[in-house]
Amino acid sequence: MKSLAVYWGCYILTSQYQYELSLRETMPKLGVKLIDVEEATCCGFLLESIDKFASTYLAIRNLSLAEKISKDLLTPCNGCYLSLSEALHRWRVEESTRSKIASLLRDENLFFKGELRVYHAVNFLHDSLGLRKISEAVVNPLNNLKLATHPGCHILRPSEIVSADDPENPRKLDELVEALGAETINYPGKLDCCGGPLLSLQPEKSYLISSRKINELERIGVDGLVVSCPICFKMFDSQDVIRRVAGGKASLPVVYYTQLLGLALGFKPDTLGLNLNQSPVEKLTSKISC
Amino acid sequence: MKDLYTMKESNLKMKDQLREESPFPWIQYVTSCYQCQKCTSGCTSMKHLELKPHEVVKLVNMGLIDELLESETIWTCTECLKCWERCPQGAAPVNLILSLRNLAVKGKAKLPENLLKTVSSLIEIGLIQREQRVPLKNLETVDREKLNLPKLVYPSEEFKGILLSMLEEVF
Ligand code: SF4
Ligand code: SF4
Repeated sequence: MKSLAVYWGCYILTSQYQYELSLRETMPKLGVKLIDVEEATCCGFLLESIDKFASTYLAIRNLSLAEKISKDLLTPCNGCYLSLSEALHRWRVEESTRSKIASLLRDENLFFKGELRVYHAVNFLHDSLGLRKISEAVVNPLNNLKLATHPGCHILRPSEIVSADDPENPRKLDELVEALGAETINYPGKLDCCGGPLLSLQPEKSYLISSRKINELERIGVDGLVVSCPICFKMFDSQDVIRRVAGGKASLPVVYYTQLLGLALGFKPDTLGLNLNQSPVEKLTSKISC
Repeated sequence: MKDLYTMKESNLKMKDQLREESPFPWIQYVTSCYQCQKCTSGCTSMKHLELKPHEVVKLVNMGLIDELLESETIWTCTECLKCWERCPQGAAPVNLILSLRNLAVKGKAKLPENLLKTVSSLIEIGLIQREQRVPLKNLETVDREKLNLPKLVYPSEEFKGILLSMLEEVF
């Protein structure tokens, strides 16, 4: 069994429990053991707007806790993936950042070598585990579903730092969905942002941004939207807010990739936390046997 | 030089300072911007909020930084990072915008309330919010324990002390 450290970030541990449930259930089935990074903190993403150094310090501190457990670190959150990857990049190239942060770490008896590898769930599943292994484990193929994916921003850009997928034509999440038997579509707004980072600055406007993608997909006609980030998920799943802020009749099932994976691996919907999704996921589950 | 709309004076020294002291190393290339507007053409917030990243870069290069620090403009970027990826000159407006936010915070700008809530939670428990109870479809609410998720192990007092003193310097 392959084992690696898992860093969840804030959103999943404090509210997006269905992402945590579905990842914890599905990974052992694929031969992956996850070891939690304890005493972890926020990745630093939201502090970036306030003080960039403090934000980088938080990221490196989390990486140093993970390095004690494993050479490989998995994070299921897009935002965390960029924060950790960017901090690691800077740790490697900037002597001054390295020495300042190393001395802060020493105050807590922590030490960081900077040798671990950071994966997001998408590139870990696609590149490290592989599509074949996933499709071989499928017991309940999702043949009847036509789905759109939302890759999100922070696992794609800037490609000089993160390289989970092609920045202008990401396909990995689509291929992961197709490995479960479902069909995926290409759509004009695929690369568009969910608006999430504006949530703590201008909440109404942030939902105005997420509403565009939901309304676009309702017009096109798909069975659901698949996401791989807790912030994006919240922005698209909160359709009562979207309806209030932007009007329209938003009613599109939104699921985490790991929930979809779990259904294909034969898990029951509630085990994967599908009863926590606020969007009408029963429209999607009723089209498959589960 | 003066901005004739706002009557703000240009301060080129401030621009050099911003460039040299920014904790965002990428902003050193802002002076290479040739105003092609590729950043603005794909900007998420331009479509929705009329943020024009090329104008932010232009204003900084003209030294009209105070003007930006006081404006809502710098608080409307969604950090989609398209401008970072696509700028042919490596000027990456988003890093400039974040850098200006850092400077505005130091200058005691009034911060969005939700952002301040996040920071106080960070100082208290290391995470941006406390564990929430969330609703099931039948409107019953559940927490980690009810869902059989492991109990969280929070960071030590030592860590909180380090973060607090770091942020006290900023605010
Ligand atoms: S910042 Fe880059 S993309 Fe934007 S106008 Fe300047 S050179 Fe063009
Ligand atoms: S990162 Fe900000 S400024 Fe750059 S394109 Fe996205 S929203 Fe616009």
